Amino acid sequence: MAERDIDPVELLLESARSEAANASFHVTGVMMQYYEACERELWFESRNIEINRENPNVVRGTRVDDTAYGDQRQNLSIDGWIAPDMLDDGRIVEVKPSSSLIEPARLQLLYYLWYLDRVVGVKKDGVLAHPTERKRESVELNEEAIDKVESAIRGIYEIVRNDSPPSATEKSYCDSCAYHDFCWSC
Amino acid sequence: MNDNYHIFSDGRIERHNDTVRLVTEDDDKKYLPIENAEALYLHGQIDFNTRLVSFLNEHGIAMHVFGWNDYYSGSIMPERGQTSGQTVVNQVQAYNDATHRIKIAREIVAGSIHNMRSNVTYYNNRGHEFSSIITDLDRCQDELADTTAVDEVMGVEASARRAYYQIFDKVLPNGFVFNGRAYNPPDNKVNSLISFGNSLVYANIVSAIRATALDPTISYLHEPGERRYSLALDLADLFKPLLTDRVIFRLVNRRQLSVDDFESELNSCLLTESGRKTFSKELEQTLEETVEHPELNKKVSYQYLLRVESYKLKKHLLTGEPYEAFKRWW
Repeated sequence: MAERDIDPVELLLESARSEAANASFHVTGVMMQYYEACERELWFESRNIEINRENPNVVRGTRVDDTAYGDQRQNLSIDGWIAPDMLDDGRIVEVKPSSSLIEPARLQLLYYLWYLDRVVGVKKDGVLAHPTERKRESVELNEEAIDKVESAIRGIYEIVRNDSPPSATEKSYCDSCAYHDFCWSC
Repeated sequence: MNDNYHIFSDGRIERHNDTVRLVTEDDDKKYLPIENAEALYLHGQIDFNTRLVSFLNEHGIAMHVFGWNDYYSGSIMPERGQTSGQTVVNQVQAYNDATHRIKIAREIVAGSIHNMRSNVTYYNNRGHEFSSIITDLDRCQDELADTTAVDEVMGVEASARRAYYQIFDKVLPNGFVFNGRAYNPPDNKVNSLISFGNSLVYANIVSAIRATALDPTISYLHEPGERRYSLALDLADLFKPLLTDRVIFRLVNRRQLSVDDFESELNSCLLTESGRKTFSKELEQTLEETVEHPELNKKVSYQYLLRVESYKLKKHLLTGEPYEAFKRWW
């Protein structure tokens, strides 16, 4: 790859700002989330290895996301690569069915804030919402968060360009993952 | 999400409100609860229209059609929710790479021989003397390691199956003489049972493969065929001893199938409609049987094992992690 010497963060910004449809490096919100939760799942996502949509957790997550705050938020699809939701008050919201995987959700939301700031040029605040638990949490993009997002972009770049995924490692939440049977059947 | 519905009567199936309705020729109406359906199997002469096809597509349900003499004649599959170009590319690359292809082919045959052997051992421990067949199968397993071309792998598979089929004449009662495999058309009762059973196993695997975005026409043991889903043939070999053969032994030895369930015409011998009903009912029950899966750490149905097998192959092709074919472990 010719881009090898370029910082992945620069490469991503260049790809995002470029008109060319085939520009080379994109990171979606879901990839950010998977990077934090499971690097193997991230690699699967990057190869479009589909998940089992009959998985009850996938069905539940989709339903919570579809129904929560329906009247107060709108979806912003930006460049076709990221699609954050915005509340009426202008904050970016990420809705999750439970707070059990809070760090991945937070990183996803921070990435949206970072992307809006660096690519679109608007500064936004965020809110992480777990409607089924009646919990909300404010999230803002400070220096530390920027570092975290940018190091995640570099980490994602490394994983995604590998020909094979990181090997499976057992995590507490493997049982509820839609890739469970795919990973652990051998 | 794994019920199969078999329709033997003639008539019409249609969408009715939010479900599927079967209207038989004597105007009898039956409703199929399709929320839990995996596939419909049509054995009779059935009319349907595009509205039904769209409805099945929305619910991700396959429809497998069996024609004259219950030969598999095709499937109407739901449009693939997710296609994966990368999966197909990797599938083809593995086929084109001779070393890679033969490795997969060998693994599939190693699995089939293992599963045949497990049926032989079962009856060997129940009053039959099959030790020479077990030796033959073990020899085949050894020969497999020395194969250098896919047609040699095929040859080993064929001689293993020939050795294995000897148990049929011993395990089944008089009146069910087998005398070797014949098809197109099957010439005796046992052959017609095997043909019917294998075609149902095959159709079930077609469904399992399509749930994974693997291309069902690109195969490793069998040559990719123009018409047939040859990958389904590859994987079906692994499951025939567990599904088709066990169901035959069970039904015939328990006298649930008798000589009256067959009709002979010209050179062929075929199951009657009631014989086919008995068989597919028993096969469906077998598919619902569960077993503790040591890697997945949960109970899975035999039917789900077919899906798992497709996952395993797909994972191997996409990640390079080793593929180990299904080998009965219980």
